[in-house]
Amino acid sequence: MKSPRSSRRRLALAVVVTFVIVGIFTVRLVDIQLVRATQLNAQSTSKRAITSVTYAPRGQIVDANGVVLADSVNRYDITAAPVNVRSFERKSAGGAKITVSVTDAAAEIANLTKQDPAAVYLDLTKNPKSNYVLLASSVTTATMKAITNLGIPGIYHVLHPARAYPDGAVAGNLVGYMNTDGPGGGLEYSQNKCLASTNGSTKYEQGADGVQIPGSTVSSTPAKPGGTLKLTTDSDLQWFAQQAIAQQATAVGAQSATSVVLRVKDFHLMAVADWPSVDPNNLNATPAQNRGALSFTDQYEPGSVFKAMSAAMLIDTGIGSPTMQATVPSTWHTPEGGTVHDAAPHPVQHLTLTGVLQNSSNVGISMLGSQVPKPVRYDYMKKFGLTVPTAVNFLGEAGGSLAPWQKWDDQTKYNVLYGQGVSATALQVAQIFGILANGGVKLPLTLVQSCTRPDGTITGLPSTTGTRVVKDSTAKTVVNMLESVVQGGELSNAVKIPGYRVAGKSGTAEVAGPGGYGSDRVVSFAGIAPADDPQYVVVVTYTKPATMKSSAAAAPTFKKIMSQVLAKYGVPPSTTPLNDYPATTW
Amino acid sequence: MSNNVAIELPSFVPHELGERPRHIEIVTTRSQKRARPRLVYALVGVGGLFAILMTQLLLSILLSHGAYQIAALQSTQVQLSRDQQTITEALNVLQSPQNLAARAGQLGMVTNTGSQGFLSLTTGVTRAPTAATANTSVTPGDAVMTPNALITPSISNLGAAAAAAASAASIPPNASVSGAPAGSATGASVASNPGALPSPITH
Repeated sequence: MKSPRSSRRRLALAVVVTFVIVGIFTVRLVDIQLVRATQLNAQSTSKRAITSVTYAPRGQIVDANGVVLADSVNRYDITAAPVNVRSFERKSAGGAKITVSVTDAAAEIANLTKQDPAAVYLDLTKNPKSNYVLLASSVTTATMKAITNLGIPGIYHVLHPARAYPDGAVAGNLVGYMNTDGPGGGLEYSQNKCLASTNGSTKYEQGADGVQIPGSTVSSTPAKPGGTLKLTTDSDLQWFAQQAIAQQATAVGAQSATSVVLRVKDFHLMAVADWPSVDPNNLNATPAQNRGALSFTDQYEPGSVFKAMSAAMLIDTGIGSPTMQATVPSTWHTPEGGTVHDAAPHPVQHLTLTGVLQNSSNVGISMLGSQVPKPVRYDYMKKFGLTVPTAVNFLGEAGGSLAPWQKWDDQTKYNVLYGQGVSATALQVAQIFGILANGGVKLPLTLVQSCTRPDGTITGLPSTTGTRVVKDSTAKTVVNMLESVVQGGELSNAVKIPGYRVAGKSGTAEVAGPGGYGSDRVVSFAGIAPADDPQYVVVVTYTKPATMKSSAAAAPTFKKIMSQVLAKYGVPPSTTPLNDYPATTW
Repeated sequence: MSNNVAIELPSFVPHELGERPRHIEIVTTRSQKRARPRLVYALVGVGGLFAILMTQLLLSILLSHGAYQIAALQSTQVQLSRDQQTITEALNVLQSPQNLAARAGQLGMVTNTGSQGFLSLTTGVTRAPTAATANTSVTPGDAVMTPNALITPSISNLGAAAAAAASAASIPPNASVSGAPAGSATGASVASNPGALPSPITH
């Protein structure tokens, strides 16, 4: 018989044990639910949740008409997990099952990616336990789809966004290029702030079949696509200019060539062509020194095209006039004991300032131009935009060089009047002619029109504030004088455009080498049309032509490009007389 | 408030004695009746619970079906945007100046900067168009000068195929267009009269 005492003891024991068990569970519960809750939640989420990257494309670069010059395109890397690669069965068109061996699969892939089948097979089988091997990089969407359709197990694709330049070398010098790790040159580099994009990401929980579990978005960062960069150039005109200088540069054996088309009313650059051209799609075909824009980065002694600026100084200061007279020998011994030569020997001529421009007389412009004091000339040259890069601020743009007037020696003080002993870029020369064409007002040169963000906000609008360099009357007079070069000068037949009054100036500049000036030349022609209502400036330069070392090499290209500009933009012909310029002789 | 209103108690009428006892029937009082749980409530309760469970089940089925639909649509969207991107990419290359120039060159066209003429009503021809010469054109087909690595034979073929399709779809030049007066297109010329603007004959 049980004693009531032992039964009470057992009961107490049971109660204690129950309490202990409940207590242990409570402690455990508190530990899991409260103490380690965050850590455990994170652990479980990381097991189930996957992060998918929302790709944001880099912005486009478009020309003034919206023609795409640079675009982001989808490319894919084809990868494989050799551990999963094995022979498999595929249904043929007739319904019969055929076995595809790994060798066959490798051959099929290699056929699509244009690789060596043996190499692909080796990649797939070299390390059979590996989980990852890159088979082909940056294949097109079509190739990727074809490979996916083969249905080979263990073959995957990964998005690998790339950059394409649909117009190739057209504006390739301006647009720049991308390296594997980011922007490499040109506007791609300097305008990266506008173009760059930020990829977004979405984190969600995934079911066993790879489908998102409803309502399980853990976190999401929106993708930020890049902005659209709009240039001022016209790709058709750009092509024409590039093609024109390329043909002539090849014909005269030039080392390089540039041409610039400037719209006078707003200083927008309609075309900036460089030769040799770079195709950003195929960078390796172009040596590194030609991958940029020489028109911006290469400074050269511009030669006689600067006489237009010297004439403007003479007239603007009131020291000279279009009919200012000079008695010009072919060689002049300066008062300081130096000598100035004209390009070709000639008898003593009685030239006006207009005649000096028409005959491109170094002696004439030295005699007349030196009457303007050196500091005044220096100030004018700076106001015309020398020594500082243009407002475009292109990657690596040069500003040209000009010594301060105090350092001009007895020869330099004459040389700078005809563009020697001073250097400038093709863009700066275009800017000088633009100022003369625009009534003496310098506007900021513009290559980038705007940057439009995906949300529609427009940033990066260029400044349009102008500064006066010379008087309106001075600019008009000089343009009128420059017509004499086109209508009556040596190159008249090469540059006259039927129906239009054209003003311009040639330049055949000597290139300074380590041992002084040699036989190499930079030949150029800069001009304005129509002269009675200036609308466009075209500058053409050829560096170191081998066969034709005079501006006669540049003149036909100037005419070709200027004619195309006038035709393309439907500029009406001049209505005032063509031979209406000041007297050239006295 | 004091409750001093007299309550009328129910009066019980005693059964008449001496009557023959009848069959006894227990009649539930009204309050008893009221207190008894009704079946209908139970049915409603259980049915409601069932309905809620069913709705929840349906909802979750719909939701997961929706998830699959979203996944499928998203995958379609990716496919379509890939297709669009591929086509745009090809189109951009097809409309590149190099490709256009080369194809125009194949058709025998040349560039001509002097092709534009200008007329003025007051002074007549102010600029006459001129025929193309070497000085007024650039060679279009010279791909070496402004190369474009993206113009591949497959892209060119794509352009040719598109052009062929477009010309096949367009109306042949000599086909009669319904609605146009017959014969008016052939042989008839607009009478010109120097000094006056040509005007159509009206009826």
